[in-house]
Amino acid sequence: SYYIYRVIEDPEWSLATVPHLTELCLQHIIHNFEKNPILDHLLPEHQRKVLDRLSTDLPLAVTANLISDEDYWKRCCTERWQACDISNYGDSWKQMFFERHLENILRCFIPNTTDPNQVLELIPLCKDYVRKLEVDQFLPPVQMDQKEERDDLSNTGSDFGFGEVSIHHYDLGVLITALPHLEELHLTYGVKDCGMNFEWNLFNFTHQDCCNLAVAVKMCHNLKVFKLTRSKVDDDKTRLLVRNLLDHPCLVELNLSHNLIRDKGAQAVGKLINHSRLQTLDLCNNQIRHLGAQALARALAENSTLTSLNLRLNCVEDKGGEAIGRALLTNTTLKSIHLGSNNLSEPTAMLFSQVLAQNTSLTSINFSCNHLGLDGGKQLLEGLADNKALTEFNLRLAEVGQETEYLIHQIVWANREAARLGSLQHPSAKPI
Amino acid sequence: REALGEDVELKVAQVEEEQRRSHKQIEESRQRLAKLLFDGTQMVTNIQVAADLREMQRRAEEAELKLQRVEKLENEAKSSTYKFEEITSKWALAKEMTIPQELWQLLNQQQQQCALLLEEKNKLISELQQELKNKDEQYVWAIKKQSDDIHLLLERMEEQIRLMLKNYRHELLQIEKAFELERRELLDNNRRKWEEAIQAHNAQELEYLHARMRKVEEFEKQLNQLRVQDEEEYNSMKIQLENDVQNLERQLQQMKAVYQLNQEKLEYNLQVLRKQDEENTIIRSQQKRKLNRLHSLLNNLRTKLANQEKQFREENHSLAADCERITGQCKEVQRRMRHFAISDAEKFTEVWLMNEEEAKGLMRKALDADRVIHTQQLGLPWEKPRYWFLNNTGPLGHYKVKRMATKLAAEVLTVGSGEGGKENTAKVEGRVTPLRNISKKTAKRILELISDESGFLIESKLLRSLQALGRHERTLMKLDSIFAALEIDSEDDLYQLVDFFLKYKAQEMAVSQRRWLLGRRRWWKAHCPACWPSLQSQGSPGAEDVTDLAEDREDGGSGAQRNKLKSPRSLLGSLPSVYFHADDVLKILKAFVRGFDKLREKDRSAKEVLQVRDSSKDEEYWKALAHVIPKPTLKLWDALAVALEEY
Repeated sequence: SYYIYRVIEDPEWSLATVPHLTELCLQHIIHNFEKNPILDHLLPEHQRKVLDRLSTDLPLAVTANLISDEDYWKRCCTERWQACDISNYGDSWKQMFFERHLENILRCFIPNTTDPNQVLELIPLCKDYVRKLEVDQFLPPVQMDQKEERDDLSNTGSDFGFGEVSIHHYDLGVLITALPHLEELHLTYGVKDCGMNFEWNLFNFTHQDCCNLAVAVKMCHNLKVFKLTRSKVDDDKTRLLVRNLLDHPCLVELNLSHNLIRDKGAQAVGKLINHSRLQTLDLCNNQIRHLGAQALARALAENSTLTSLNLRLNCVEDKGGEAIGRALLTNTTLKSIHLGSNNLSEPTAMLFSQVLAQNTSLTSINFSCNHLGLDGGKQLLEGLADNKALTEFNLRLAEVGQETEYLIHQIVWANREAARLGSLQHPSAKPI
Repeated sequence: REALGEDVELKVAQVEEEQRRSHKQIEESRQRLAKLLFDGTQMVTNIQVAADLREMQRRAEEAELKLQRVEKLENEAKSSTYKFEEITSKWALAKEMTIPQELWQLLNQQQQQCALLLEEKNKLISELQQELKNKDEQYVWAIKKQSDDIHLLLERMEEQIRLMLKNYRHELLQIEKAFELERRELLDNNRRKWEEAIQAHNAQELEYLHARMRKVEEFEKQLNQLRVQDEEEYNSMKIQLENDVQNLERQLQQMKAVYQLNQEKLEYNLQVLRKQDEENTIIRSQQKRKLNRLHSLLNNLRTKLANQEKQFREENHSLAADCERITGQCKEVQRRMRHFAISDAEKFTEVWLMNEEEAKGLMRKALDADRVIHTQQLGLPWEKPRYWFLNNTGPLGHYKVKRMATKLAAEVLTVGSGEGGKENTAKVEGRVTPLRNISKKTAKRILELISDESGFLIESKLLRSLQALGRHERTLMKLDSIFAALEIDSEDDLYQLVDFFLKYKAQEMAVSQRRWLLGRRRWWKAHCPACWPSLQSQGSPGAEDVTDLAEDREDGGSGAQRNKLKSPRSLLGSLPSVYFHADDVLKILKAFVRGFDKLREKDRSAKEVLQVRDSSKDEEYWKALAHVIPKPTLKLWDALAVALEEY
């Protein structure tokens, strides 16, 4: 009678405008999701509706372990960041969200000021989803006392002697050891966008920091990739890190580029090469001289796991280059070597022509920005004449002469074509 | 990555369409793009390489500057320390100064030098600060340069990306065009084929249609013809059928009448049958009762049969026992009969002898009377009639009795010893002929051997007494006792013995002879083939008396060989006696006795039956005896009696 009454009273009224009860219930669930999260008990289509309409501002404590729907996390990500490329995050929006969230917190963490619970609370929420940590900034603790202006001309080395009251960075140990799936760790101990507030001690990777990090990395058994760049890692810290990384079960890639590693540090890394499963080693832009290069070469001669070695922007010179060349005469696993900007000259080129004639595993060599000279280039061309494996040979700005560079380029190009055809024929039998 | 994906696609496409023309296009595009990509990468990375080079140069310069600076600082430090020392040394001098002007002068000097020193230091500091400023400027410049580089890099990268995109699009378009072209060609080809096929098909269809029309017309014509024909047929048929219908109706009427008749008949029959059925039911009940009765009877009879069977079985047993008993009695009777037959025979001979005696007495009397009549009355010479029965004594069957073995042996022996008596020999010959091929000599030889070798069978007493007798008699006696011991009593037995000897010997000889002959022949064939025929002729004379010797089973390869094999048999008759070895005699005898016993067992009864007398000639005999006086003589006698009476 009520309906009839309504119909009579309001001719435009119709039953269709009244939402369904389920609809209303779902609406209610969505509004009160924070207090009473109901999701698993719903039917699939209702779940879908709820997930589509849930707010992205809900506290993570509620959503983290309950919602696994990718679309929801996609909304979260796109609302928070402009550029989102999930291919770097294992093609998972949820993983991306948590990794970037954690990174942001770590980037803005100021020791002694920020509450460490902020990180600790997050651990149980994100530990199942975080596989990679890429932190490019660690803030130092705020110093209340008056900072001394340092305008003296002395180099950075002397700078460490002063004002290190308590400038240690956040200790990753607790966090890293609590993340069971962590596989990649990219760290840079430094401050970004400091502008005119630049101070040397903003970029101070202290011994204590290194100790903490080394211990943490040692405890992290699933770690595969470890990058510590632009962090003023010197010989002592390198040795400390290497000591803790020895015989690590999983570590495959180690990147210590843009640091201050000298010969001692290089020797330590050489030792590490044969006491781990390292496949890729990047030591570019350090201060390794011939002694360090010789140590690396000795390790390389015995090694059978390393496939890529980068020594760009070091100073190994001919002594080191020759040592590495001799090591490559026996090594059969290394595929790629970068010796650009290393002050190499003709003797190294002669030795490498021999290497090119003998070695069949090397596919990529980079000799850019060296002083190989015309004769060195010809030597390399001779050595390359019978090589069929090399597909990349960078000789730019190596003073070998245009003609030689062109001929070498021809050979390498032919090799590359042959390799392509070879790889085409082998798997081609299967897909068709 | 984009390029890579494209590349992979292209590769896949290439693999799939390797045979096509588009493959070429794809390959070209790929190469061009790879080249482009390489060049682009080269261009982009050039900036990095250039930066590296600059950095390296900067480092080298820096290192050099640093070295210079250090050197400069050291020099400065050295000179300043020197100066400082100078100044400090002057302080000591100043202490010794006493004159104020000098001291003032010295102090001034010192002050000046210190100022100089400070000035130098300050100059150095300002220089360094200047350097620092320069460095700062350099740093700013470097930063600017790097940001420029970065900008350039970005620009190049963007340009590169744009270029690559454009190129990729272009190449993709090209490839698509190639594919399109190929596809269009394919389509054109297919369409042309299709159209051709369609045209051909249409032409064929048309042809078929024409043919069909033609056929339809033909068929219509035929149909019309057929319709006319059928109409005619139909009419005639209709008339015929109407006639038939009339006939049939008539027949139907008849049949109806017959039917009514039959119905009445059948009703009557039905009634009869019903009555019969009633009767039958009565009879059936009777029969049933009878059947029951008979069943009970049958049971009674069965029990009786069982009883009787039992009885009969018992009877059968008792009768079998009786039968056995009776057979025993029968045997007994037979034995008695034999006994009686023997005694009858004896009696018969006795009676025979008695009657014969009497008859012969009468005969002799008659003959005497005849002789008297002839000699005394008639004066005629009387001749004693010679009848076969005159010399006969005993029953007629007697001469059928076999000669005794010993007698035969004696005869045989006498043949050998008494060669002179030709008559005797002939007679013996006649008798001995039953010995068939066995020559007398052989037989004699055998018997002599037996007598010599079988001495153990003779009683020693007899042996001793025999010493006195002659050789011939001794042999005879010995044989007699030996035969007795071997139970050889009839002529046949002796023949068998001799025969057995010969056969045995023949077998043995055949075996040895063959062996010997085979050896000989081999030798002959090897040495003198010429001798061969002569040997053959040697063997031939004996060939004719070949009879039934056991070795006829030899297979005949050639005539010569068969002759060869026959010869030993033929030799057997002529000169076998030589071959009997004394040692063999005992063996042969043993074998003979073994076989002989069996043989005798077998035909003993037969012999006994066979000894029934033959009485056919008896009557003749007795008649002959009665008519010993021939009829002419009787007539003579009658005439004589008449004459005598007349006389």
